Amino acid sequence: MNVNRKIKPSFLTAILLGATLTSFASVPVSANDQLKLPPVKKVKLKNGMTLLLMERHGVPIVSFNVIVKAGSVADPVGKEGLAAITADMLKKGTKARTEDQISEQTDFIGGEVGFDAGGDFTRGAAEFLKKDIDKGLDLLSDVMINPTFPQDEVEKDKKQTIDQLKSAKDDASNVIGIYFDAFLYGDHPYARPVDGTETSIANITRDDILKFYESYYSPSNTILAVAGDINIADMENVLTSKFEPWSGGPSPKIELKDAPAVKGKRLLLVDKPDSTQTYFMIGNVGIARTNPDRVYINVVNTLFGGRFTSLLNSGLRINSGLTYGADSSFEQLRAAGPFAISSYTANESTEKAIDMALSILKDLHEKGITEQQLTSAKNYIKGQYPPRVETSDQLASLMTTLEYYGLDESDVNNLYAKIDSMTLADANRIIKQYFPTDDLVFVLIGKASEIQKIASKYAPQIKVKSISDPSFN
Amino acid sequence: MELKKRVARLSLGAILILCLISVAQAQNFEVKTHTLKNGMKILVNEDPSIPNVAMYIFYRIGSRNERPGTTGISHFFEHMMFNGAKKYGPKQFDVTMEAAGGSNNAFTNNDVTVYQDWFPHSAIDLIFDLEADRIENLSFDPKMVASEREVVASERRTSVDSENSGLLNEQLWAAAFTAHPYHWPVVGWMVDIQNWKMDDLKHHFEMGYSPSNATMVVSGNVTADEIFKLAEKYIEPIPSHAPPPPVTTKEPEQMGERRVVVKKFAQLPLLMIGYHVPETASPDYYPLEVLQTILFAGESSRMYQRLVDKDQLALSVESEYQLSFDPTLFIINAQPKDGVSPDKVEKTVYEELDKAKTDFVTDNELQKAKNILLANFYRNMKTINGKASAIGSYEVFFGDYHRLFTAADEFNKVTKEDVRRVAQKYFSDKNRTVATLVPESADPKGGGNER
Repeated sequence: MNVNRKIKPSFLTAILLGATLTSFASVPVSANDQLKLPPVKKVKLKNGMTLLLMERHGVPIVSFNVIVKAGSVADPVGKEGLAAITADMLKKGTKARTEDQISEQTDFIGGEVGFDAGGDFTRGAAEFLKKDIDKGLDLLSDVMINPTFPQDEVEKDKKQTIDQLKSAKDDASNVIGIYFDAFLYGDHPYARPVDGTETSIANITRDDILKFYESYYSPSNTILAVAGDINIADMENVLTSKFEPWSGGPSPKIELKDAPAVKGKRLLLVDKPDSTQTYFMIGNVGIARTNPDRVYINVVNTLFGGRFTSLLNSGLRINSGLTYGADSSFEQLRAAGPFAISSYTANESTEKAIDMALSILKDLHEKGITEQQLTSAKNYIKGQYPPRVETSDQLASLMTTLEYYGLDESDVNNLYAKIDSMTLADANRIIKQYFPTDDLVFVLIGKASEIQKIASKYAPQIKVKSISDPSFN
Repeated sequence: MELKKRVARLSLGAILILCLISVAQAQNFEVKTHTLKNGMKILVNEDPSIPNVAMYIFYRIGSRNERPGTTGISHFFEHMMFNGAKKYGPKQFDVTMEAAGGSNNAFTNNDVTVYQDWFPHSAIDLIFDLEADRIENLSFDPKMVASEREVVASERRTSVDSENSGLLNEQLWAAAFTAHPYHWPVVGWMVDIQNWKMDDLKHHFEMGYSPSNATMVVSGNVTADEIFKLAEKYIEPIPSHAPPPPVTTKEPEQMGERRVVVKKFAQLPLLMIGYHVPETASPDYYPLEVLQTILFAGESSRMYQRLVDKDQLALSVESEYQLSFDPTLFIINAQPKDGVSPDKVEKTVYEELDKAKTDFVTDNELQKAKNILLANFYRNMKTINGKASAIGSYEVFFGDYHRLFTAADEFNKVTKEDVRRVAQKYFSDKNRTVATLVPESADPKGGGNER
């Protein structure tokens, strides 16, 4: 087993959520030169489906990425996890293939096909060697267009999901984000656990899945991108012939408003009696993917909690050894996503670590940041950006994501200029506007018998629940 | 936030060094090499497709070079390599690198300690200066040692105490190896983490960190000439000294099944089965990889089909077969479903292994495995990071990076007779250790369960 010095960081993903994308010609450019996205061809099929195509030569691999514009925000109340189960079930049988045939044929060509629901949307990803592209596309289009949702496979998937939910709770880091979203968002759709709860999954029927599929999986509700070792014109013809026969729709548009920020302080303590560590998240409602300040927010968050030498990781790990890692992130979604500080520490240092995180947040407001820090963060983001958009699968995912959020290449092509334009005054405004200090939601997972008293000091009232309780709120 | 998705997969782990890739008709790419006068070998792959660089430095020292009482010191030392040297003091390694647009990480396993830097080409001179400073002039500040000790303790609480699979895995290795140093965990026993002395750290540095004990791999937007010149300027003046003493202990042949039970608060049980298998350099590596692919890779694999899909006994079933210098373990991990006893899962795993021992795998399965291994090879070559990791892993564990390009032929040579032979040879009951985690309900008084 490898033991790493740092957590395999979601750090960077978080930093670049607002700006994930690009590719390069094979001409070296210095880190400060603006990176330009290679040409993207956008095609609207007659049935309303959107195609995006990009050439990226190198290894003989072709990557596909799909967004179907319905995620857990479309789950009915009481049937949370429906979008996720529907996505799982696509590969569990089609009009032409049984589940076994789908997995056997995919594996035989060393291919990958998978669909996963998120909050805003469901994402599919597939990848094949160039020589197997016809067979691969046959599989991908079949599972998207012709799924049959066999009853026995539905039951199997439900059982597996329920056990998966139980098993996930054996490691607090798997589930603390789910508790946090549920507690922070209350009645808003972003409160819903994407994979559901043990109770809600049990409520889902094959009819629910069929109805969800028929409502939302339609060509006009679907974006498909391809990047890799292709010829754009040829690939456009192939994709058109595969997907134009798909009929259906239009799909209902999912209404979604920003959740208001929580006022005051609230705390949820989840009791996990075997814990030797307390896991905690502290935050509030943050920003949407299209927030005009997103690049500046990413710069400030890089300094605050987005890299190894960030203020949070310096305080809680480097200077004090209270934890193995402390970070902060803004998850950027269609509506305002969560902002959260996250870390964990030994039971006995719970108070010290939380106090320190709060005091670092306070210092950010009171002391601000220096010109030197600002320059360092700018260099860091630009220097770490290229490997985020290095491969055909990253580029295909970038294209569908930009299209879904109504953004375009300028999000990438102007990124470095936007970063360079940021001043200290901008940074200070961002701190005041986007980093809450008085209104905060806390979620702690740990051994209640040892930490409940400490937890009580952070909010006027606290809620305590057992990790064995099936619900997350 | 989503849960981890259930899949039957090869447990690739964080880095590709765990399970190596393979090839079949894979394209070659050019690697240029140079050995410094102090013995450090440098391998460079020029790839300008992005303006960045990935650098790996492999030191041939890991937990196998440790002793009882100071277990985990290789990993702890890896942390200390970031805590200040002569020119760049405490914290300056990270602060300076990040300000120049770079990032880094490092990992330690049984056999090696590996340092990784990822940076824009503009930072290349600085990176060499930083690396040379810490190899030549690392400082051992008692305050930094004390603070880092707590970080590593937290890391252990996270990866072992808070993660049932980490805890069980540790117990499995400890039972399977009685004499050889693979007996103890890479992160170290908690009491050892708390008790190393400064002299132990200094001794470790002297033992493991001679330039001649290291291999540097660079892939990305560079020229080999430029890297060799920088290495000559920054690294070559660092004197070489003796490498670590050879690890002479050999694990005696296992004479019968060993069983370990861990009881703790948990939602679900866990099962791990480990078989002694040879080191990476053994010719049996290739048929074992093919067998592993047939049994565990993808949803059409035998184990997934039987345990997850058909009999629905397990949520997941995975295998783990690391690169190693010495004979190691082939591990099967299964997560039984709620209400299914681990015994039932275990018995079913054996039934599938028995089939592989009795009958030949089909031609179709053999071809599928080779296709999967080829596709995985290309996936790992998509990035400069993947290439740096692969070149270094072949150089260090197979003894020659050229083996990366001949792995194709080696896999193609594997026959169904080979696959059955290795199944018979290694997957015997006498050769296995079985570890089970049995859930206990929480102590109502809130005590217990602490380690």
